[in-house]
Amino acid sequence: MKTKMITLCVNGKDHRFEVPVNRTLLQALRDDLKLTETKYGCGTGECGGCTVLMDGKDSVCSCLTLAVEAEGRHITTVGGMTHEGELHPIQIAFIEEGAVQCGYCTPGMIMKTASILANNPNPTEEEIRKGLDGNICRCTGYEKIVQAVRRASVMMDTAQTRKVGGMRA
Amino acid sequence: MNAKTYVGQSVPKLDAREKATGQAIYAADLNLPGMLYGKIVRCRDFAHAKVLKLDLSEAAQVPGVVKVLGPKDVTQKRYNSGVLDLMVSEGLGEVLGDIEDQHIFTDYVRHQGDAICGIIAESEEIAEIAAQKVKVFYEALPVYLTAEDSSRPDAIQFDERKPGNRAFQLPEQMFPGNAYGWGDVDAEMAKADMVFEETFTLPKVKQCQMETHSYVAMYDQTGRLNCWTSTQMPKCVQPKLARLFDLPISRVNLVSTTIGGGFGVRLGMICEPETCAMAMAVPGRPVKVQLTREEDWLASESRHPGKYWIKLGVKMDGTPVALDARFMASTGAYFTHASGVPFTTGSWLTGMYKYGAVRYKGEAYFTNQAPSGAFRGYGNPQTNFALEQIVDRACNALNIDPVEWRKKWHKGTGDDGWCIGVPFSSCALDECLDRGAKAIGWNEKRAKYANQTGVKRRGVGVSVMNHTSGAMPMLLEHTTCTVKMNEDGSVVLMISCSDMGQGSHTVLKQIAADALGMPMDEIHILNNMDASGFDIGSHASRTTYVGGGAVIKACEDVKRQLIERASIRLGVDKEDLEFKERQVVARSDASKKLSVKEICHSGVYNFTNPANGETNGVPGQIQGYASHFPSHNSPPFGACFAEVEVDTETGEVKVLELVIAHDIGRAINPMAVEGQLEGGAHQALGMILTEETCYNDAGLCRNNSFTDYKMLGPVDMPRITTILVEQPDPIAPMGIKSVGEAGPVNPVGATANAISHALGIMFTEAPITPERVLKALNQ
Repeated sequence: MKTKMITLCVNGKDHRFEVPVNRTLLQALRDDLKLTETKYGCGTGECGGCTVLMDGKDSVCSCLTLAVEAEGRHITTVGGMTHEGELHPIQIAFIEEGAVQCGYCTPGMIMKTASILANNPNPTEEEIRKGLDGNICRCTGYEKIVQAVRRASVMMDTAQTRKVGGMRA
Repeated sequence: MNAKTYVGQSVPKLDAREKATGQAIYAADLNLPGMLYGKIVRCRDFAHAKVLKLDLSEAAQVPGVVKVLGPKDVTQKRYNSGVLDLMVSEGLGEVLGDIEDQHIFTDYVRHQGDAICGIIAESEEIAEIAAQKVKVFYEALPVYLTAEDSSRPDAIQFDERKPGNRAFQLPEQMFPGNAYGWGDVDAEMAKADMVFEETFTLPKVKQCQMETHSYVAMYDQTGRLNCWTSTQMPKCVQPKLARLFDLPISRVNLVSTTIGGGFGVRLGMICEPETCAMAMAVPGRPVKVQLTREEDWLASESRHPGKYWIKLGVKMDGTPVALDARFMASTGAYFTHASGVPFTTGSWLTGMYKYGAVRYKGEAYFTNQAPSGAFRGYGNPQTNFALEQIVDRACNALNIDPVEWRKKWHKGTGDDGWCIGVPFSSCALDECLDRGAKAIGWNEKRAKYANQTGVKRRGVGVSVMNHTSGAMPMLLEHTTCTVKMNEDGSVVLMISCSDMGQGSHTVLKQIAADALGMPMDEIHILNNMDASGFDIGSHASRTTYVGGGAVIKACEDVKRQLIERASIRLGVDKEDLEFKERQVVARSDASKKLSVKEICHSGVYNFTNPANGETNGVPGQIQGYASHFPSHNSPPFGACFAEVEVDTETGEVKVLELVIAHDIGRAINPMAVEGQLEGGAHQALGMILTEETCYNDAGLCRNNSFTDYKMLGPVDMPRITTILVEQPDPIAPMGIKSVGEAGPVNPVGATANAISHALGIMFTEAPITPERVLKALNQ
């Protein structure tokens, strides 16, 4: 397999390494960079477990994105959501609302939420549900996840929190 | 901090922070030095076949391949991936007839996905390339996909020990006529004014836990087999692996990794045997196996599908004079839970209503589908689908309100329980029904939605259920707990119960904190299978009820020791001493007291007098211990109400609202209880509306992906109202009853009954898809 030297910017940090051109972003994150917080759930873009944020706004399934395609983009994983040890309001909302059970979908859910709120800071319940569609959770029935997204939007609105997405100085 | 401050509070889950930051370690996240990758090569093209020839030579030559293993290269011992054989007494096990019928790698394929051989390589990619080079020559055999097919006299016998491919029926020695129940069903049925009879078809539903099965195993230089796995039953898998590989339990180190969803699929072993066999072949090097989603579907167990025949006889006033039922389940390719599920399925039926007489027959047959096994509810969703619908049919025919009928005829406190001979210790079902009916607006909507004719028609339905808290008396029911007091008075709580994400470790810590009157953050819960003692695992809705009982007893043991020591040191009678805010204080003289910390510290830091060789005061580190065998199972009840809207042009069913009222006894953590009911509802609605694993005529799975196997998404889920009815159970620890397994039960029947209310049609086949709705409307 042909390989290519790439630079991936993950959570504000540049990583330069060689990858086969068919390597997915998910494999590059998990296997090459050992950033295992992004999860494999299906490998075919059906479950959203591998969702990461690109350029602070767009959510993508990293299992459907090639590592070489991600070059030059700012990638944020759930590992990049905390700032100097402080949790992001989305993380706080997920924890306190009981939106985390087994936790396997949580990294993807949180990144999807970041994308929803980056594009629409005050979504209605319907917009939240539509926004989350594509990210599967088998534990919660989505009830508490929807509550957490709503609460996060309020928290972020009041706190005027910093933007997420590897955009920090 | 005062005592009793955590129980009853919605404390956020202890592991939520590490999960929300991505720091929780699941098995697939492990990266060990020198790690190799294992690939299990599975039969993809046949559901029933003999392997005529297996050629591994080309695969072995792929650069980077370390070893290839065929069926003869691993232990020839057979095993049963389920664990029921470990948890019943020897005599009962023999009567039930559980068999060990699985091989690590097989030359007789019984379902698509059966494991043929294993490849160990330096990378996952290399293992996959080599897997493509394995050549297998098969002889195709006839495929049997239902119990009706495989039980035909000319069918090939799957196992010589099970003639007619009947893996299980209720044993004649225990239950004459291969049935349990009470009364003379035939005689009572003859007295009925009306008889309702139907055969229901249950789908093969998949757990769909988000983490695919993943493992790491290493046979280390000290001769220990180490296995990292997210099993729900570490202390049962440990002896199973020990037996399979001829090792003492002390040489099997089972490491529980974070569990990415269980719901029963991780009850027992899945690919631990294959992974460990590969590790044994390359001593000193860890081997990682991670299943793809497709493999996970093919290789792991599901809910039992089958036919549920049921016949209910009633008097004109609604009196249920007799109920006759038979569940013919498909156990799939292997035995696994063939005895457990069909046995238990009828319990939820006999436990529900005061029939004049009842008879239940449960059977399981081999088929060429992936094995069936444990799935949250263990037969209860199947019973709920059949029983609750036949009851509604009778109510409708007799013009009796379904809520009133259930209130009149459900079993309650003191009545014979789901296990005949063990009475119900409490029952809050009436309150569940009353509060649920009010919340959904039952009376108004029931009248309003009668006789609709429009395109979109609405309906409301009700369902009730009973379940268990713990495995007693069906299985061994035992959990141990050790509470180690550190020298500063902080605590290590050692218990083997798994936390599958439901929050059981949080709840157990809440219980311990209150029992010892101390803050939760000074307690560490240790889930180490070398250090912590026996436990039968997280299943049977038992962790809070049984694990909590063990924690309370072990904490009592600690308090007893603290009081004994304080009594000696203070010179005060034990009876005069009491616990107050982490101190032991004399009731008669409050100035006489010792802090818990002081007692623990002096027990550890105790210096021997060199002059006489004696210790000072009362030496020794304090450890409380309990080996807990609960004497009961405090069954919970529950009621559910569903409102649906059916589009008669498209056949689509939309669930608008669910009200779930649960008889929880006492909620240790209300937010966690709600989470169990809401998440369970998702699984129940999937079973009733969209979910089914389908096979083509050749027995090949048609929908082993999340695109083709449709679970409800956030947009499809209804508004859910949960009502926690707290009437403490008189004999349960702290009055608690279970919730986890109850989750996916009641919304099944309630939704089916709501659809029937909307359309006037009862659906006997689940899931109730748009196709089936349109077909029924056109008939």
